[in-house]
Amino acid sequence: MLSPERRPSMAERRPVLSNSSSIVVPHLAGIEDPLPDSTPDKVDVLIVGTGMVESVLAAALSWQGSKVLHIDKNDHYGDSSATMTVDQIKRWVNQVNEGEYPKCYSNAKLYVSTSIENGRGRFASRDFGLDLAPKILFAKSDLLSVLVNSRVHQYLEFQSLSSFHTYENDSFEKLTNTKQEIFTDQNLPLMTKRNLMKFIKFVLNWEEQPEIWEPYSNRPIGDMLVEKFKLDKPQVFELMFSIGLCYNMHTKTPEVLQRIRRYLSSFDVYGPFSVLYSKYGGPGELSQGFCRSAAVGGAMYKLNESLASYDPSSKIAYFNDGSKVSVTEKVVISPTQAPKYNQNAPEQKYEIHRLTCIVEKSCEEWFTEGESAAVVVFPPGSLKSGNQEVVQSFILGSGSETCPKGTSIWYLSTTQQGPRAEMDLDAALEAMEASIVRESSSDLENDESILRFGPNGEPVINSVRLGQSFKEYVPREKIQFLLKLYHIQYTSTPPFAVVDPSLFDINREDSERLIPGASDNGVLYTAMPSAEISYDEVVTAAKVLYEKIVGSDDDFFDLDFEDGDDAAISKTDFENAIEDDEDDEDAEMSVGVGRSGTAECIGEMEI
Amino acid sequence: MDCNSSGRSGNRVMLQFKLVLLGDSSVGKSSIVYRFVKDSFDEFRESTIGAAFLSQTIKISGSSEQSETVIKFEIWDTAGQERYKSLAPMYYRNANAALVVYDVTQQDSLTKARAWVNELKNKVGDEDLVICLVGNKIDLCDGDEDKRAVETGEARDYAAEQSLLFYEVSAKTGSGVRQIFESIGEKLYETKKDELAAARNRQMGSSKDQVNVQLQRPSTNDPTSCCY
Repeated sequence: MLSPERRPSMAERRPVLSNSSSIVVPHLAGIEDPLPDSTPDKVDVLIVGTGMVESVLAAALSWQGSKVLHIDKNDHYGDSSATMTVDQIKRWVNQVNEGEYPKCYSNAKLYVSTSIENGRGRFASRDFGLDLAPKILFAKSDLLSVLVNSRVHQYLEFQSLSSFHTYENDSFEKLTNTKQEIFTDQNLPLMTKRNLMKFIKFVLNWEEQPEIWEPYSNRPIGDMLVEKFKLDKPQVFELMFSIGLCYNMHTKTPEVLQRIRRYLSSFDVYGPFSVLYSKYGGPGELSQGFCRSAAVGGAMYKLNESLASYDPSSKIAYFNDGSKVSVTEKVVISPTQAPKYNQNAPEQKYEIHRLTCIVEKSCEEWFTEGESAAVVVFPPGSLKSGNQEVVQSFILGSGSETCPKGTSIWYLSTTQQGPRAEMDLDAALEAMEASIVRESSSDLENDESILRFGPNGEPVINSVRLGQSFKEYVPREKIQFLLKLYHIQYTSTPPFAVVDPSLFDINREDSERLIPGASDNGVLYTAMPSAEISYDEVVTAAKVLYEKIVGSDDDFFDLDFEDGDDAAISKTDFENAIEDDEDDEDAEMSVGVGRSGTAECIGEMEI
Repeated sequence: MDCNSSGRSGNRVMLQFKLVLLGDSSVGKSSIVYRFVKDSFDEFRESTIGAAFLSQTIKISGSSEQSETVIKFEIWDTAGQERYKSLAPMYYRNANAALVVYDVTQQDSLTKARAWVNELKNKVGDEDLVICLVGNKIDLCDGDEDKRAVETGEARDYAAEQSLLFYEVSAKTGSGVRQIFESIGEKLYETKKDELAAARNRQMGSSKDQVNVQLQRPSTNDPTSCCY
């Protein structure tokens, strides 16, 4: 809530634009109007840290008309969501272990193969782009709309990701995620197909059918799926853990329904997939894009600059290089860049354990043809370690331009708290390793007992040996790890929740809350990235902060670019394309087809 | 692929290149682009001015065959991020050409320009990157050669030694500005045409290469429209 003695926000003080609430961006923005030569001595908002949320906030504020100074203590963009080279990772690990990020990171362990060594190794440090908090983008999501409206997507390249695998019984089951696949999957009994379709139809419109889900609103969704929709364990697990991306068996029904719908309604917005990822790096890349947008909108950027303290009575921020700036509105700080002698930085209660590996294997076996990424989910109880929480794994191949040909990056993470998390991650890594060696098994052809040579020297495959279960096949080949990074990241966002707005209330400017001697009285802290593998929390968090600063979020990225050519037209298309109603109609039609079970209609079924 | 051939209609081939601006602040980087975009009112003008970057199209004379070649520049301004060495890797990524600008009336600005050239060679992977060294503000020296602080010969020698294109211009009068972009366009066409032909042939054969998803173009249940 806003306090009555609150200063008027930028939006309130700004003269009202005639008959339009949206900001008109002038031609040649950022070019026509040369920027001042020196650091300003007065800004509206100082933002410290160039992570994902801070960068979206900076761009939103700049385009709204606020004067923004955006700094970062590092020599690169991205902060807690940076995309880093191997050398930058090495430095970061040292900083973590020297205690430079108390409350934010701990326990970083790094192995780097000598193959990655500038000049001498087969690979150079900058051949790789490693994300501290990798994320995937749902095709129908608030961030995607912001990317399009702000034109930031023009700085970026996106690719599709349609391979979602659920690990079960020691193997990867590819997700049956489209209606086409449900109907063509030979392994699914007709009854199951029908039940699945019934559920999909329900979930696209679940809020309006409380009679179905309300009895389960405080129970795990598994109960409803089994009792109401008669689904079997494999489908329940797929829906909960691959499509819904849940962390454990106990997630409440409404939360899961929301997330299953997120996946299904994103399907076919751009093509037969629900999820995208950005090339060259994830949130680190998007942060750069939003920072550039903010700069074009007039924000000033300074890397290698850190905050020493902020004095809320004089409203002056002091930097460690001796300079200072007067701030009319707010100071916003990433927890990783809190000034020394801070006493208001929020507790980061929840652990996210992350294991990041660079593997010398293309892992194309896991990707859909023409793609270069996959998600593998290890449901509770599927691993040797007896995991209680899910391990999620996001795999990027060289097509993502974050690693060279013949290599791939595996990002594993879990919301399991405490020391057993590392055991779960190790078990998942082992399972992935065994699986990829088995599936690729390039040494199969070289195995003399399988491959024999006929009288004329032609190769003959020993089918008896080949027919043996691949599971029993012990490969000679070992996976070559080029890098392994384990660490714990902390966050104030509980698993499965979005950022809590009350987080930003703990530090208002009421004087009784000022802690004597603290260097960070009166500042707003942003949230550390949550465990969520999608970008879904980012816009929510940026909007809440925006509202705290501007007074309302009405004009959050309310941009009206004047060149109104094809981009403006496609913006309209975009909004039409993602309307819910269409999904429902399609679902209805497909269910009808499902009942009659005729094969020739399969081609028409779309989600 | 470093550059995109964004289609051909009839005999017209359109090549698209990313061009970045570099140089110390206040040497007039933006004014040069502004002048170029503002003065290009020919039939090929296709200037989309939004918040992302400037686009400007020119026809190049170098291709004498029946087909005509149009070069589309996607021009990225520093947006002030160069001031505190805060340009993101994104800025340099996949750049095909760069203007490194100095002020002929400021000796120090050529020194800075040399540093930017080194930075470019470090950051941009493309060995065919076309760099053009540009001395701006020659109008200030008109009839007052005392104002000149950087001799043409000095800059030209440096450019030759580093294999850079070199021009002295005035963004204020427009003198020499268009030539910068024409000669960059011609050089890009020369260095990239073989690569483009190869890429085109590859596309005709198998299209196994991964295609980017265009976010501004959702497909309404048309599985083919997601890729171009």
